[in-house]
Amino acid sequence: MMKELLEVRGLVRRFGKKTAVAGIDFTLEEGAFVGLLGPNGAGKTTTIRMLTGLYKPTSGSVRYYGRDFFSNQKGIKGNIGVVHQYSNLDRDLTAFENLNLHCILHGIPRSERKKRIEEALEFAGLAEHRNHQIKTFSGGMKRRLVIVRALLHEPRILFLDEPTVGLDPQIRRSLWDLIVKVNQVKSMAILLTTHYIEEAERLCKRVMIINEGKIIADAPPEELKKDLGRFVLEVFHEDGIEERLFQSKEEALEALKGCRETCKIREVTLEDVFLNLTGRRINV
Amino acid sequence: MFNGIKGVLYRELNVYRKRARKLILASSLSPLLYLIAFGWGFGDRVVAGGLPYITFLIPGLITMSSLNQSYGISQEINIARFYFHLYDEYLIAPVGPMEIVLGEIFYGMFKGLLSTILIFIYALIFSVDLIISPLFFLSILIHTFLFSSLGTTIAMVIKDHGSQATVNTFVITPMIFLCGTFFPVDRLPYVFKLLVYALPLTYSTKVIRASLTGGEVSIFFLALMVAYASVFFYTAYLAVRRVEA
Ligand SMILES: Nc1ncnc2c1ncn2[C@@H]1O[C@H](COP(=O)(O)OP(=O)(O)O)[C@@H](O)[C@H]1O
Ligand SMILES: [Mg+2]
Repeated sequence: MMKELLEVRGLVRRFGKKTAVAGIDFTLEEGAFVGLLGPNGAGKTTTIRMLTGLYKPTSGSVRYYGRDFFSNQKGIKGNIGVVHQYSNLDRDLTAFENLNLHCILHGIPRSERKKRIEEALEFAGLAEHRNHQIKTFSGGMKRRLVIVRALLHEPRILFLDEPTVGLDPQIRRSLWDLIVKVNQVKSMAILLTTHYIEEAERLCKRVMIINEGKIIADAPPEELKKDLGRFVLEVFHEDGIEERLFQSKEEALEALKGCRETCKIREVTLEDVFLNLTGRRINV
Repeated sequence: MFNGIKGVLYRELNVYRKRARKLILASSLSPLLYLIAFGWGFGDRVVAGGLPYITFLIPGLITMSSLNQSYGISQEINIARFYFHLYDEYLIAPVGPMEIVLGEIFYGMFKGLLSTILIFIYALIFSVDLIISPLFFLSILIHTFLFSSLGTTIAMVIKDHGSQATVNTFVITPMIFLCGTFFPVDRLPYVFKLLVYALPLTYSTKVIRASLTGGEVSIFFLALMVAYASVFFYTAYLAVRRVEA
């Protein structure tokens, strides 16, 4: 049996009258690769910030390896790596200096810092940019750097908050490779938030769907889709698209024959799962 | 315990190093203008607090300039926090709020002391004799600690950039002009005197000036500086402890 790394119970966070996270529960094992999928404003960032000690929860508990997080923050934080939604590198410092700062803050001994930093830069494919100021970096380079920075202190779990938001599809793919490599090569657990369907489907072994601060589904992507059917027939009416679900391609093709408007068959995605659960789309 | 202090100082000093020339040049101009305008301009004809005006002015410029530099970290912390989200990097690390506060305060003290050295150089150029005693060192350390703590507190409690400018306009600038930098506060009307004696800069200026010009240093005022410094240090600690980003 896998060892339990993280246990979240009844986690709530309010901002004034607004409830951003409305009581969520889940557990995470060592080496897991889990996606937290939901639309903008669902409470993904607020959740991550509570799990990493940046926000205090209004109520609920967070345990790492069975220890209460909020009363042992200093001891536990060394096991946690975080990549925020925005890049929070110092623009005036070089790549090396930014990584060195992280090493100092995490108490990595001086004798080991250089080796780890060079390794990280290599892993991210940024070795030649070691002494360049962050000002000169592209969005994709900054993303790669913040990801390997979060690994410098060798955490057991890496939180990635919308790691590919706002990047070109091509750069997004290269980041996916990097993230998968982190999970496989370093066997580090990953909790990734996203509002991109494809990212959750392609990368994550398990997906939690979050909406209005609540987790409304939690299973491997295939399982989430299975209950719904496997194929969708889209019928383009003048006043919108009608979607009909089928368990097999044959059934869908049969229905397509009787189609008088423009029709299209495609596979079920997590977007359909979300639509089915909430009556809304994730990306509008 | 020291990782946080080391980390904050590493960042601040490396950023400072890269801008040092520009920053030092910028911070050296206004004290020089004051010296030329008031020091030379008034010449020997004006005596303040029993001293030739330029001798009176130099210690005032030391407190003013070091206050500007030490308190000025407020703005820098602000930009780092709101624009670049750098505090997130401190807050996810296994370091406590006390370490972050001390790191920022030491950086503020460093800047304050650097500007003090600059004014000493001006004093040499304008051939003003000053007495540099252990008491002076003690008081300038307390003074820069005090205003670095205040700067850190303000940076942590305000919600955005605009409020930072407001605090500067309504608190810091009036304080600099009223608290004995340019003239002895004892000449102020009674109501102003009440106000001025509530502000910590008044005591810094009195103690630092007395120590540099051979006057009598009031232990009571020195104790008040320590008291103010302790209060602001504690507020800075509380503010960093509850900050979320
Ligand atoms: N600091 C804050 N103050 C007030 N409301 C907030 C704050 N942070 C988030 N919220 C609100 O909480 C909800 C969830 O936000 P967030 O966790 O950022 O969502 P997501 O990351 O899924 O887009 C949103 O409605 C947002 O407006
Ligand atoms: Mg978000």
